[in-house]
Amino acid sequence: METLLAITSIMFFPAGISLILGGMLYEWADRKLVARFQNRIGPRWFQPLADTIKLLSKEEIEPLGVNRALFFGLPVLALAGALTAALYVPIFGLRPAHSFSGDLIVTLYLLSLLTMCTGLAGWNSASRFSIVGATRTLTQLFAYEAPFLLALLGPAMAADSWQISRIVDYTQTHWMIVLQPVGFVIALIGLMGKLELPPFDAPEAETEIVAGALTEYSGRGLALFHIGKSVEMVVGVTLVTAFYLGGIGNPLFFLAKTLGLLLVMAFLQSVLVRLRIDQTVGMWWRAGAILALLQILALIVLK
Amino acid sequence: MIATPNLINRVVSGITTWARVNSPWIIHFNSGSCNGCDIEILATLTPYYDIERFGIKLKGSPRHADVLVCTGPVTRQARDRLLRIYEQMPEPKFVVAVGSCGISGGTFAGCYNIVGHIDEVLPVDAYIPGCPPRPEAIIDGVVKLLTHLKNGTRPEPIKPQLGEQA
Repeated sequence: METLLAITSIMFFPAGISLILGGMLYEWADRKLVARFQNRIGPRWFQPLADTIKLLSKEEIEPLGVNRALFFGLPVLALAGALTAALYVPIFGLRPAHSFSGDLIVTLYLLSLLTMCTGLAGWNSASRFSIVGATRTLTQLFAYEAPFLLALLGPAMAADSWQISRIVDYTQTHWMIVLQPVGFVIALIGLMGKLELPPFDAPEAETEIVAGALTEYSGRGLALFHIGKSVEMVVGVTLVTAFYLGGIGNPLFFLAKTLGLLLVMAFLQSVLVRLRIDQTVGMWWRAGAILALLQILALIVLK
Repeated sequence: MIATPNLINRVVSGITTWARVNSPWIIHFNSGSCNGCDIEILATLTPYYDIERFGIKLKGSPRHADVLVCTGPVTRQARDRLLRIYEQMPEPKFVVAVGSCGISGGTFAGCYNIVGHIDEVLPVDAYIPGCPPRPEAIIDGVVKLLTHLKNGTRPEPIKPQLGEQA
């Protein structure tokens, strides 16, 4: 019974199929919002689904000189990491499926897995564009990861726990966006860096390096990376909303809050232009990390 | 008795065709045109015409693309590159030739540095005439290709004559 429950929670709910479909809807909402900000009509609601099915039914080309196991294994690992992370966060405003002390760190680790898999896939592809993309992906990972972690550490320190469900219980009554506004901004922008959305899309800059680390991927591998990214978007948006915008509360309100966050992210995507990779790194370490540290210092002093 | 495998096959192929028709990602290659058609293709991709409505996206990598949009006659220099890009695309793939030069060699027909029109190098699925074709014409051509895909047919091949000019 226990095993059956675990399999169900991984395959269908909260992770698995429902999360993949939810990720597609979020991706569509993001693309549609960006399109509206650019005064376009934008894609139809089933667009991410059609893209995914098309990619899954296409031929998968294996380039010469790659490690076969890595080439086909990495997309699966990336998606698995993103889906597993969803077990510990309150997806769609429901209680986390699993919870233990310190699951915040595990979740952040699992969320970074996708980026690391992308980097490794780019290095493994043995193409100059994918190697440059992989370098940039990993450089950016080292840039945003520390400030993002510090920004999520703020609510954790205020709640005196490393357990996501406890932190969420605490933020239910304390709106962290008011108490720690700096942390909220850093978490939001860190999430955009994590998802490689503009202005942090230097790792997949089309005008310079074709498609970055995933240049050589076609068909199924590309589809799995895409799904992984949209799942990560759901998990990331859920995490930031639950930590900074008043916990989970009512699932309907929670959904509205995540969509509001998506609106802000889409706005930032359409008004900002791509930063060079050195500008991204410099911004995170010179401004992001220091501001996050200052806020934590203030938290320790005032507490 | 219902032939179950056949039914499943039909459903699966229906779904994949639906997905294919609704999400054509294109890659754009100029094999020797005067850039007029390329400007029109780029105009088609701007927010004014917004072809993301049909799920069309411009991709940088041939590995991600479904439709190769070619412009211009094929020069001797560009022939190998064009073939290489075509070979890099995963199946199923389609080719659209944009502009008079892609269809017949156009004003370059018979030049010393020209292999010929695109059909002599690659199997072309749709031709979009014009010098250069307007963005509306390009969208119309792509939609015609998609309609044929939906019906499971290939567009009627037109065999243009080299050197035949108005």
